[in-house]
Amino acid sequence: MTDNSAHGLEAREDEWLAVRCQLGERAAFDELVARWHEPLWRYVRRVTAEDEAAREVLQDVWVRVIRGIVRLREGSKLRPWLFGIARRALMDRLRERYATPAAVPLQDFDLAADQDTSALEEDLASMQQGLEELPVTEREVLTLFYLRELSLAEVAEVLGVPAGTVKSRLFRARQMLRRDMDTKGRPV
Amino acid sequence: MNQTNPAHPGGSPTLPDVQRLLDAELSLRSRLGYVALLLGSLGMAALAGALWLTEPALPFRTQVAFALMIVIGLSWTVFSVWVLRHRRVLYARQHIVAGRMAVAFTSVFVVSALAIGYGSGKDGAYAAAALGGVMLIGAVLMLLRGHRAFNRLAERRDGLARELGRST
Repeated sequence: MTDNSAHGLEAREDEWLAVRCQLGERAAFDELVARWHEPLWRYVRRVTAEDEAAREVLQDVWVRVIRGIVRLREGSKLRPWLFGIARRALMDRLRERYATPAAVPLQDFDLAADQDTSALEEDLASMQQGLEELPVTEREVLTLFYLRELSLAEVAEVLGVPAGTVKSRLFRARQMLRRDMDTKGRPV
Repeated sequence: MNQTNPAHPGGSPTLPDVQRLLDAELSLRSRLGYVALLLGSLGMAALAGALWLTEPALPFRTQVAFALMIVIGLSWTVFSVWVLRHRRVLYARQHIVAGRMAVAFTSVFVVSALAIGYGSGKDGAYAAAALGGVMLIGAVLMLLRGHRAFNRLAERRDGLARELGRST
């Protein structure tokens, strides 16, 4: 199966689930939770870097999903929609915590030369400590991308930035993580 | 949210926790309760308004009482609409149930107001029946819209099920 057809199949599966939820089928909500609870937990947990905060955010995410799914217009975009909600819940949480969140200056980098990242991609979980020390923007983009649930375009949709900016953030995040690992002697 | 998921010793919220959340959030009884509240409060405001407008030379205190009834009725109406839009949203099937409830309620309202008007000859009852008629038209339109939305989604669901080889 090619990537395109696999992606098309996933999109139809997502839409099928979303449409059934919009109809009000309880079984569809159960399937939605069974399918997406874990990936959302991994994203939220890694960005918050705290169990308790992640639990609260994830509960908030599910409430927003249940109440908001009737307004999802394109069911095939279920997964960026879900992660978009998770992201907004995380941002709201951060805003509550820091009344005036510090703006993170973002610069664009060229990712074309950055192809030696397979080690980073293999097991993000094993680098949890290094990941937790990254700024939120970098932690978020790495987590979203390496969850392997979203394409680059979908990550861009979730973050509300162009795909090029996602690439530049990934580049910077990986550089920062690598520097951190080198400094502390952890294997990359 | 205090149980621990064995898959996550640190602990993601457990699936039973989320299931409980689903049970609470998807409760049909609470939704239909707010639909009933919406219809009842709207009916009360319509009745009080009709009587106030058609009864000549009402004492000041009676007028104040009608005004208060209208304000209270409309406040509950606004509140229940807000709840149904933000906290207990109606899914496509439930839109149809709510639409049927609205048609049944407004039909009873119109028939009752007409019967009272016929029996007592009071203009207020006919005015209430006229307002009820407007509400009935709104309820029928809401029901038709609900059916259209449901059919569109059900058709899409069935089409996707065929493509994916799933049963519906």
